[in-house]
Amino acid sequence: MHFVIAFTLAIVLMVADHYGQLMGSFRGVLLTTISPIERIATLPKQFYQLTTTDFTNIDTLKLENQRLKTELLLVKAKQQQFSNLQLEVSRLESLLGTAGRINTQSLQIATVTYYSKNPLSQYLTLNKGQLNNVIEQQTVIDSKGIMGQIINTTPTHSRVLLITDPDHQIPVRIQRTGQRGILSGTGHETTQLGFIPKNSLVEIGDLLESSGLGGVFPAGYPVAVITQIENKGGNPYLDVTATPIADLFQSHKVLILSQATPYLNFDEDLGKDPDEDLNGNLNDHINKDLTESLNVN
Amino acid sequence: MSTKLLSLKASQARWVILISYIIALALDTVALFGHSSPIIPPLTLFFLLYWCAHFLDRTHLFSAFILGLLADTLYQTPLGSHALLFSIITFLMIRHRLRFKGYPVWQQAFFISLYMMCYQLLNYLFFSPILNSNDVVQYWTMPALSILLWPMLAYSLGKISHTAADD
Repeated sequence: MHFVIAFTLAIVLMVADHYGQLMGSFRGVLLTTISPIERIATLPKQFYQLTTTDFTNIDTLKLENQRLKTELLLVKAKQQQFSNLQLEVSRLESLLGTAGRINTQSLQIATVTYYSKNPLSQYLTLNKGQLNNVIEQQTVIDSKGIMGQIINTTPTHSRVLLITDPDHQIPVRIQRTGQRGILSGTGHETTQLGFIPKNSLVEIGDLLESSGLGGVFPAGYPVAVITQIENKGGNPYLDVTATPIADLFQSHKVLILSQATPYLNFDEDLGKDPDEDLNGNLNDHINKDLTESLNVN
Repeated sequence: MSTKLLSLKASQARWVILISYIIALALDTVALFGHSSPIIPPLTLFFLLYWCAHFLDRTHLFSAFILGLLADTLYQTPLGSHALLFSIITFLMIRHRLRFKGYPVWQQAFFISLYMMCYQLLNYLFFSPILNSNDVVQYWTMPALSILLWPMLAYSLGKISHTAADD
C-alpha cells in the first residue's frame, strides 16, 4: 500500500513539474532544505583553497594585480567608446523615427559557489538569491558570453542552468549571416545548433549570438562558436556542433543581468556581502562613464 | 545474536539513520560537484538499502520518497523522478530483505550490484543521458563498483547501528 501511494505521488509530482509552474516554489523549498548539506559538501574544497591561497607567492599576486590593472584600463577605454556609440545609435534611431531601442540591463556581480558537470545536469550555484532581488529567468554572463539562466532561487543562493545542460535551449542567430536557430545543450562541454537547413551558408568558426526571441535572453550577446558541421544523409538539417564561448566551469565571478530596466538604474541595495565592493565599483564606473559621455555630447 | 539482530528496531537508531542520510547526501554532493564521474554509485540509495534490509519493522518507503525528492533537487531532474526510482528499488528490497539479511556479505554485495544495475537501467530510460565513449563504460561499470563498496558500508554501518542500539 505504501508503495502504491509513493508511486502515485511520484507520478503526480513529475506531471505537475513538467506541465505546471506550481512546483517552482516547492523546488525552492527543497533547495533551501538541501542548501546546508551543499555547504557541508564544499567545506573540504574551501579548506583546501584557504590553505593554498595563504601560501601563494607574493610575486604571483603582484603579477596578477598588474594584469588586472591593465585589463581594467583596456575595458574602461572600450566602455567609453561603447557609451559614445550607444548615444550615437539612440540619436540616429530618433532621427529615423524607429521604435527600436538598445536593450540595456542593470548588472549584479555574483560569485560561483559550486557547479555540477554531470551529464544529467549542468548548473552553477551563485551566492546571490531572493534577498538580492535575483529572480528566475535572469540571464547570467561572464566576461566572454552567455552562461545560462537563473532557474531556482533561495533567500541566499540561486541556481543557474548552463547552456550545456541537456534540458536547456536558447534561441540564437549566426552573427555573420543572421540565420536563426535553436542551440541545445548536450550534457557535455558542447552544444548542438538545430534547425539549420542544408543549403545554409554556415561555416566553422561562425559566432552564434543570442537572437532575443522568446524574451528570456537579451539579444546580441555572444553564446558559442561553431566547431563542427556534419551533413548526414536523409536529414534535411545540418548537424552543427558549437562550443560555448563563456568559461562555464572556470569563471569565479559572473554577472546577473536584469531584464528591460533603464540603463541608469544601478542603485540597488546589495546588502553586506563579499561582492558588495565589486558591485559598487562596477556601478560607479558605468554611471561615471555614461555621465561623462552625456556631458561631452 | 541472531535474535538480537532480527529484533532491532529503527526507532532505536533513529538519529544514526538520520545522520547517515545527511552524510550520504553530502557525499553524493561532493561526488556531483566538480568533475563528477558516472562510476560513483548513489550513496544515498546505498544507505537506504542497508537500513531497509537491517531494520525490518519499517517499509522505509517514506524515507525513499523524501530522499528521492532531495536527489531530484540535487541533480536538477524533474521532481518525483528520483523519488520514483528510489521507491521502486526500495520496494524490490522489501520483497527480498528477509532472505537478503541471511546471506553472507559477498552474496549481499552481488544482489546489491543487481539492484544498482536496475537503478542504472531505469535511470537511463528516465533521463536518456548523452554519454560519450568513456562515460558509457563508467556508467555501466558502476554496479560492479558497488560489489566492492557494499562490504565496507555493511561493516561500518553494522558497527555503528549496534553501538547505537546497545546505548
